[in-house]
Amino acid sequence: MTKKYGMVIDLKRCIGCHTCEIACKLENDVPMGMYWNRILTEGGKYMDAPKGEYPNVQRGYLPLACQHCENAPCVKVCPVAATYKSEDGRVLINYERCIGCRYCMAACPYNVRVFNWQEPVRIPDFDYGSADTPKRKRGIVEKCSFCEQRVNKGMQPFCVEVCPARARHFGDLNDPSSEVAQLVRTRKGEQLLEDRGTKPQVYYVR
Amino acid sequence: MFNKRYVNPWTVILAILSLVGLGAWVYQLANGLIATGMRNVVSWGLYITLFMFFVGLSAGGLIVSSSATVFNIKQFKPVAKPAVLLSSTCIIVATLLIFVDLGRPDRFLNLVFHPQFNSPLIWDVIVIGIYLVTSLVYLYSMTREEPNLKNIKVLSAIALPVAILVHSVTAWIFGLQIARPTWHSALMAPLFVASALDSGLALLLLVLIGLNQFTSFKVDKKLISTLGGLLAVFIAVDVYFVFSEILTALYPGEEQLMGYLTLMLSGSLAPFFWGEIILGAVVPFLILVVPKNRLKSSLMLLASGLVVVGVLFKRIWLLFSSLLLPLIGLAPGVTLGAYQMPETFGQAATPGIWATVGSYAPTWVELAIVVGVCAFGALIFTVGTYFFLTPVQTAEALPKQGGAVSAT
Repeated sequence: MTKKYGMVIDLKRCIGCHTCEIACKLENDVPMGMYWNRILTEGGKYMDAPKGEYPNVQRGYLPLACQHCENAPCVKVCPVAATYKSEDGRVLINYERCIGCRYCMAACPYNVRVFNWQEPVRIPDFDYGSADTPKRKRGIVEKCSFCEQRVNKGMQPFCVEVCPARARHFGDLNDPSSEVAQLVRTRKGEQLLEDRGTKPQVYYVR
Repeated sequence: MFNKRYVNPWTVILAILSLVGLGAWVYQLANGLIATGMRNVVSWGLYITLFMFFVGLSAGGLIVSSSATVFNIKQFKPVAKPAVLLSSTCIIVATLLIFVDLGRPDRFLNLVFHPQFNSPLIWDVIVIGIYLVTSLVYLYSMTREEPNLKNIKVLSAIALPVAILVHSVTAWIFGLQIARPTWHSALMAPLFVASALDSGLALLLLVLIGLNQFTSFKVDKKLISTLGGLLAVFIAVDVYFVFSEILTALYPGEEQLMGYLTLMLSGSLAPFFWGEIILGAVVPFLILVVPKNRLKSSLMLLASGLVVVGVLFKRIWLLFSSLLLPLIGLAPGVTLGAYQMPETFGQAATPGIWATVGSYAPTWVELAIVVGVCAFGALIFTVGTYFFLTPVQTAEALPKQGGAVSAT
C-alpha cells in the first residue's frame, strides 16, 4: 500500500508555547510577515485569551498549518499543476512553476497559504532555513510542506521534533500499526471543517 | 493603414492614460504586488473584480448581436458590428486584467505548456481563446466588402453558445469553491449570465448613443428603444436571480453563512449591495419600463449608465463577501504577508501582521493600472470604430447612411 503521510495533534497536550511556529519559520526559511504554522487561541478575541466568563474559563489552542487534504481544493484549482499531491500523500508546491495567480488561496478553506507580496524580508538578513529547504522568491505562494526536505530523508517534520509537550505526531496513516493511525483510531481523531469534504490528513485529538 | 484621422484629442488622451497605466504596471513589477492593497486574507482585489465585470460586458454584447443572426431578428442586425467590436475589446481588457494580477507574469506561458485541466482557470483560458478568435473572425467577415452571409450565420451560431459559456466558466471559477460560502452556489453561472446580459446590453446602448452623437455611424432611435425594452427584461431577470440566491442563503439562518450575509446586507459591503439593487436595478427598470422614456437619449443614457455601475457594484460584493471572513477566524488570525522593517530597533516591536477579518482598499498603483487598461480598451474600440464602422470612403460619400449601409 502506498504511503499517506499525516499528522496528529494532541490538543490536550498543546500548551500554546509557539515553539513549533518559530521552529517552522527557522527550518523552512519563512520570511517576516508570515507563518506557515500558526497557533490559534480557541477562546476570546485575543491571543491567549480564555474561553468563557470568569470563573468558568478555559484556555485552549489550535495549531493550524496546511491540512494536506486528501481531496485538496488547492490542487484542483491550480492552473499549472504547481501545487500537487505527491505519491506519499503530501500537498507540495513546485515553486519554479507557480505563476502567482493566487487561485489556491481563494480555494483553501483553512487560509493556510501565504503569498510573497514583496521581496522576502528576513531578520537576521540571511537565509536562516535549512540548506536544502526549497528557495522561494517574490510573487509566488508558499505553505507547510510537512518539511519536505527532512521527510524525504526519513526524518520527522521539525515541528514534531521540537514540540516540548510532545503534542505532535507524524507518520503513515495507511499503516495501521503506525503511531498516527493508532491515535486517530483510539482517540477518535477529528478533522477541521469536516463538512467541507476536503478530508484533511491532519487530525486533532482531545 | 495609419491615418491622420486617428490622431485627435480623444485618442491622444486615451493613449496618454494607457501609458500612465503602463508606467504604474512597471512600478508594480519593480516592487511586487505589495504595491496593491491585496494581502493574505483578501488575496484578490480590484483586478479580479474588474476581470469578472469585463467578461460580463463582453459576453452580453455578443449574445445580443449573435442572437440577431441566429434567431434572424432582422431589426437587431445593424448593431451587430459595434456589438462584436465591443465584445472583442472587452475580452482583451479582461485578459489584460488577469495578466496584471499575476505575481509572476513572466511565467504566464506555463498556462500553455503545463495546463492542468481540472482548473476552472484553464477552462477560462481555453474558452476565452476560442471566444476571442471567434469574435475577431466574426467581425472580419461582417466588415468585408461582400460579406458571406452563410459564413456569418455559422459564426454567429458558434459565437452565441461560446459567449454564454465564457461567462459561465468565469462564474465557475468562483462558484465551484467549497471554501467560500457566498460563492459556492449552483446559481452562480445563471446569475453571471444574467448580469452579463444587462451590463453588456447597457454598455452597448451607451456606445450606440455615443456613436450616434459623435460619428457618422447612425442607429435608428426606434431600435435603441427596442433594445431599452429588452434591457428592462434583463434587469428583472438579474434581480430575480439575486433575490432567489439571497433568500436561499438567508432562510435557514445558519450562523456562519449569516456572518457573510450581514457583511452584505448591513456591513461594509452594504453600500455596494443596496447600491446595485436600488441604483443599478430599480431606478433604471422604472425608467425603461415606460416606452416614452426610451425615446429620450438622455434618459436612456442615464438608465444604461446606472445598470453598468450597478453590475460593477455586484461584482464587488460578490467577490469580497467571501474573501473578507476566513472560515477559521480564531485569534490572532491569518498572517497578512507584508512586513515593513522598523526604522530603529524597538519601534513597532509587534508589527501588525495579523488579521482575523480581512480589509481591502485599492492603492493608487492599482487604480492607475486599471484606468490605463480601460483607456487602452477604449483606444482599441475607437480605432476599431474608425476602421470597421466608419471607413473613410463610406463616411465621406454617404455621411448620413453609414450605419444602415454597412449593416449586414
